Amino acid sequence: MPRRQQQLESFRSMTPSQFFYEYREVAGFGSPSRALYQTVRELVENALDATDVHGILPDIYIAIEREPENPNYYRVTVEDNGIGIQPQHVPYAFGQVLYSSKYRLRQARGRFGLGAKMAILYGQIRTGKPVEVYTSPQGSNKIYFFRIKIDIQRNRPIVLTRAEFPNPSGWHGTRVSVVVEGDWPRARSRIHTYIQRTAIAAPYANIVFRDPDNRIVIYRRRITKLPPIPREVKPHPHGVDIELLKQLIAKTNAKTLLEFMVEAFQGVGKKTAEAFLEYAKLDKNLDPRTLDDKKLEYLARKLREYPKFRAPSADALSPFGPEIIEAGLRAILEPEFVTAVTRRPKAYEGHPFIVEVGIAYGGKIPPMNEPMLLRYANKIPLLYDEKADVAWKVVDPRNFDWKAYLVNFPAPIAVLTHIASTKVPYKGVGKESVADVPEIENELRNALREAARRLRDYLLKKKREEEAKKRIITFMKYTPEVASSLATILKDMGVREEDVRKMLLNIMKKKLGIEDDKFHKLIQGLEVSIEE
Amino acid sequence: MAEYIDQVDREARKRALKVFQETFKMLYDQIARGEPPYMMLPKRTLANTIYDEKRKLLLLGPEKLKRSFLDLNESKKFMQTLLMAKIIYEALERDEYPTIRDLYYRGKHTIIYREPGGRRHEENTWDEQRESDAVIRDIEVLTGLLREEMLILSKEKGKVVGNMRIRSGGDVIDLSKMGHGAYAIEPTPDLIEFVDVDAEYVLVVEKDAVFQQLHRIGFWRRHKAILITSAGQPDRATRRFVRRLSEELKLPVYILTDADPYGWYIYSVFKIGSITLSYESERLATPSARFIGVSMTDIFGYGKKKPYLSEKERRNYIIKAKDADIKRAYELMNYKWFQTKKWQIEIKIFLDKKSKLEIEALTSKGLKFLADKYLPEKIETGDWIE
Repeated sequence: MPRRQQQLESFRSMTPSQFFYEYREVAGFGSPSRALYQTVRELVENALDATDVHGILPDIYIAIEREPENPNYYRVTVEDNGIGIQPQHVPYAFGQVLYSSKYRLRQARGRFGLGAKMAILYGQIRTGKPVEVYTSPQGSNKIYFFRIKIDIQRNRPIVLTRAEFPNPSGWHGTRVSVVVEGDWPRARSRIHTYIQRTAIAAPYANIVFRDPDNRIVIYRRRITKLPPIPREVKPHPHGVDIELLKQLIAKTNAKTLLEFMVEAFQGVGKKTAEAFLEYAKLDKNLDPRTLDDKKLEYLARKLREYPKFRAPSADALSPFGPEIIEAGLRAILEPEFVTAVTRRPKAYEGHPFIVEVGIAYGGKIPPMNEPMLLRYANKIPLLYDEKADVAWKVVDPRNFDWKAYLVNFPAPIAVLTHIASTKVPYKGVGKESVADVPEIENELRNALREAARRLRDYLLKKKREEEAKKRIITFMKYTPEVASSLATILKDMGVREEDVRKMLLNIMKKKLGIEDDKFHKLIQGLEVSIEE
Repeated sequence: MAEYIDQVDREARKRALKVFQETFKMLYDQIARGEPPYMMLPKRTLANTIYDEKRKLLLLGPEKLKRSFLDLNESKKFMQTLLMAKIIYEALERDEYPTIRDLYYRGKHTIIYREPGGRRHEENTWDEQRESDAVIRDIEVLTGLLREEMLILSKEKGKVVGNMRIRSGGDVIDLSKMGHGAYAIEPTPDLIEFVDVDAEYVLVVEKDAVFQQLHRIGFWRRHKAILITSAGQPDRATRRFVRRLSEELKLPVYILTDADPYGWYIYSVFKIGSITLSYESERLATPSARFIGVSMTDIFGYGKKKPYLSEKERRNYIIKAKDADIKRAYELMNYKWFQTKKWQIEIKIFLDKKSKLEIEALTSKGLKFLADKYLPEKIETGDWIE
């Protein structure tokens, strides 16, 4: 960890405060309502990354409170039961922009730890309040408390308060609290939606949310299965650029290009490395540190071009898996039918990705003119710019033949899409919509078809059952008149109404081929009476 | 009450009750064998109506309809048929004479059912009399009993006067002594006995008003006719009564209607039967009935035949045909039984002139003209269509 910290020194040339001022719209802090939403989002995503990624079933508490001194100031507090932060890292983790524990190549919700610090910075600039952090690393017998501000000019943490408390209950995790300027009335519905969507994707979490109106929403844990823990992988040669090459070279101990290739990239052995260097007409004994920018550009280009590298590894990916998607959709939307598909890993431009699609149908979902779309990228719910997203392009009734799957709009249908990748191709820096990468689009469509086929099977079966039910109701409601008529005309032969009814019921059962218990279930509560 | 009931009626009831028991025993046997109950009914549709050219009758074709209780589309009809059978059966047992309207009301129940989900629905056994009437016809073909044989009454519509005496319900009625009124043809004309008759032919007039006028000037007395009106579309009793006059008394039957497609169809109903009641044609139709007029050739002339109306009278009396009339004319043109030379000429003139005429036009020209010139002359010269 400390070594990596040094490597990041090269980023210091960026002045975080200037960067933030100039790009806060792009980072999601353009207006008080958006900023409040973004603050919640960044803190919740950090909380989840501190738990499920490390095999811990999350307990997340979220609170937004109005600050008494100014009605436009809101204190956002998020607490998790995650791995916690070692006390010596806390000032940097919260007080220095571009310091991150997540700067590695594996799927995580955030990457550079920028988001949470944006929130802290934004809060500090507008309200002058420091961030407050309680944390206890796993196994620690102490709870640490910090109040930290950021020295914006020097990008350094200023620790205002540091305290330690005993930890008799063995609690571990982190509780972060920032005060930001916000607009709750405008952000209310987005934030509630965001938390609901987060809960859908994390049915293995307990999530409690208290909002400024003192409304408390509780999403209880539905399953105890966690998604697979992503492993760290080396970069794939198709996914490199000059900057990444520079970083990899700075880090390596390799003396030759051949050694460097084998050491730095995934899926590259000696043989592959030699074949590639021959293809690129590069000397395998060259010291990688001697490469200038021009040579680096050439190497990066050739790496991307070479067709014979092994496909990117999906070990770094962490899809939800069908079980989690189905549990989440079932718990929150309460549909009558749910199914989910996790596709096999694919790659675009050297980046592995997995696409997942879930469908929820009927039940408490209201009929709508188009599908309700729940988009996720690396487990983060995406709420803005829906219509610009590749997922919308795929599920849009103008592009997808829903009728072929017996879905006729208005229909009560929700579609969940998830793109898990070491690099999600977002449109723009706002991370709100995914670009139309053909490989991803195709996978989304394949996954949607697979899920929709299951929905169609279900709807067909349901239709047949409804027809059987309709038949039974029809026969049952006419049986009394038929039986009474035969009993009247044939009374001299001792024909009794009750017997005819029973016989007709048996004939009906036989004809419809329904087993006894199912038949009884179908007719249970069916009452017929006649008013003359 | 029993002693006032006609022995004839009592016999009819006994027979009907027995037929009902036999017919519905078959349904019960199916059920007792564990089979889904069904009944086979002749299809009462135009497609299954056959014109028997030899006997000149509209008959029910061979196509059958399987009405099964467990067929979702037939289930309600099946129930309705049994419900109607039960009501008729009960009326027979109780010595009642229900009308088809009575039967409609007696069988109109509300079925209330609660779905397993708890939703309550209401459904009537039938909503309109059209539905219950259709089921009565189904029972007639199913049992082979006509509604008269089941002692079901309908409104009396047809009237008759003439030099003739009949016995009905034990009374002898002299049809020449009805004053300005007339004898209403009873719904069970088969229970009438002809005592004696002195007449040379039967004249059936579509319009009640024309019937009254001819009656008042003593047309039937002067021309030795039995005068009948159907007052529009003929009911079954009137048709059966005319048939009996033709069959049993061998009297020629002449039919006088408006000169339009509806009048022509009334004539054809008397002569060969109707599509809805084709199963009864053998009993109701009068294949020898003649269309005396008013014909298109009477109005416009044809070939050597001179018209009865002058140019000026035509201008005054003729009515322009409506779209519905023309449509109906094209339908009739395609019916097999209108595909004779004389009828095709009639229809062609009508379509050509697009004109129709009511019988009243001839009375306007002069009641005496109608009674003493037009009708006798046409009968005498054989100027009719068969």
